[in-house]
Amino acid sequence: MTTELTCAGKPFNHLHASHCESGVTASLFQDKGVDLSEAMAFGIGSGIFFGHLPFIKMVGLPVTTYRSRPGTLFSKVAKRLGGKFVTKKYYNFPWKTDRTKEGMDDLRALLDSGNIVGLTTNIYWLSYFPDRFRFQFNGHNIIVLREVKDGFRVADPVLDHPVDCLTEDLERARFARGPLESKGYMYYAKSVNPKPNFRKACIDAIRDSCNMMLRTPFPFVGLMGMRYLARQIIKSPTALGVREARRRLANVVRMQEEVGTGGAGFRFMYAAFLQEAAALFGSDELAGLSKEMTSIGDIWRQFAVVSARVIKERGSGEETFAKAGGLVLICAGREEQFFRDLDSVAGKLKA
Amino acid sequence: MKVSEVPQDITYYNGEKRACYALDDQGNYVVVPSSGWEAEAIVNGLAMEDWEARLAQIRKEVLAGRQSPLSYYMELRQMTPKILGQTAGIAVFRVKRHFRPEIFAKLKPQVLARYAKALAVSTEELQKLPQTPKGR
Repeated sequence: MTTELTCAGKPFNHLHASHCESGVTASLFQDKGVDLSEAMAFGIGSGIFFGHLPFIKMVGLPVTTYRSRPGTLFSKVAKRLGGKFVTKKYYNFPWKTDRTKEGMDDLRALLDSGNIVGLTTNIYWLSYFPDRFRFQFNGHNIIVLREVKDGFRVADPVLDHPVDCLTEDLERARFARGPLESKGYMYYAKSVNPKPNFRKACIDAIRDSCNMMLRTPFPFVGLMGMRYLARQIIKSPTALGVREARRRLANVVRMQEEVGTGGAGFRFMYAAFLQEAAALFGSDELAGLSKEMTSIGDIWRQFAVVSARVIKERGSGEETFAKAGGLVLICAGREEQFFRDLDSVAGKLKA
Repeated sequence: MKVSEVPQDITYYNGEKRACYALDDQGNYVVVPSSGWEAEAIVNGLAMEDWEARLAQIRKEVLAGRQSPLSYYMELRQMTPKILGQTAGIAVFRVKRHFRPEIFAKLKPQVLARYAKALAVSTEELQKLPQTPKGR
């Protein structure tokens, strides 16, 4: 853990997290003296999810997501733990089209008044990342600590140490256009409840997650989405040709492992949350469910390994697509049972 | 996933480490830094290869005079005409028109400057291809 000074001269402990939004949320709470781990933030924000959305395309490929919509995690944690956060977005109006300067001035003023500020940015323009992680995605969260020469000191939870970011890069990253554009979104804590009711927050969050996974009446998300994806993978080599099928499968695995998920598309992080929750409630059932989630995560990892083999073995093996799809079906079956059990356990917990 | 199973296959993140959740010997979750996983390198490599192939193709088209350098720089920044149009404040149909070299050659300096700003290159750079095939 690296310690860094903020603008106000207060020490700031850099948290190395596997996911940007839960990491930033946990960091902001820790900075205010609430002991909130990343996994706990992820669980309380109901971050776990699944969706395969064929009608939303990124770089020409259907979006597959293992987490809830960017932005909701933070607001749910703030609501459930009783944190008052000030948020600001810079909408464009016909008489006011470029608000970059205004946004950067506001950021500087906030830093000067001693706050640390969370920002939503476009990952492509953050040049401190290795090149292969940079792509046009407008939902990366970072914390700005203070201004330095030619730029800002930035705590990016995905990296294990704070970095410097050029002013020019940060301007572009904050006000980048495109799908899900952040419009310079920034947030900072006004006041945080020093003794939040973790038990109630956990129960609310677990029930919310179960609802999203089990009872969303929409065939592309939750468990229905998982089964839909499995069917798509199985028929993709005949429907799309092997080359295109490979690209799509690669994209699914990429979303699962690559984009800051802590492994297995957040499943391990959720298991870590359940383990903490089990300790909080002293519940053996939750501890058992945490183990179950870990083994579901292991199947997702296996799916990634099988898919990587399918992708690498050029020209051969249509049954391996079927095998990859089959693994997703197994995951769907296990997760359905898991969330049903979790739902009934959460119903018995007392806040 | 156990701590011993956290992939440390390759130094894939240019020296950076990513956090992974794994179980330690007592069965408790801990955060373990990982230096990279082979499976991840394969799937991400495919996406990168795709992009590099597209870039090389456009470079050829530009050299043959069938497309304007604007198209190359857009692909270099991994943008689509829609994103580029929004960033530069130019309608998408005009952006697409400007991919034609004869139309691009006649653009006013103001329009070029807007593209240059949106793509983070200088106006001079925008009018010709970079020397090396790839350079961010």
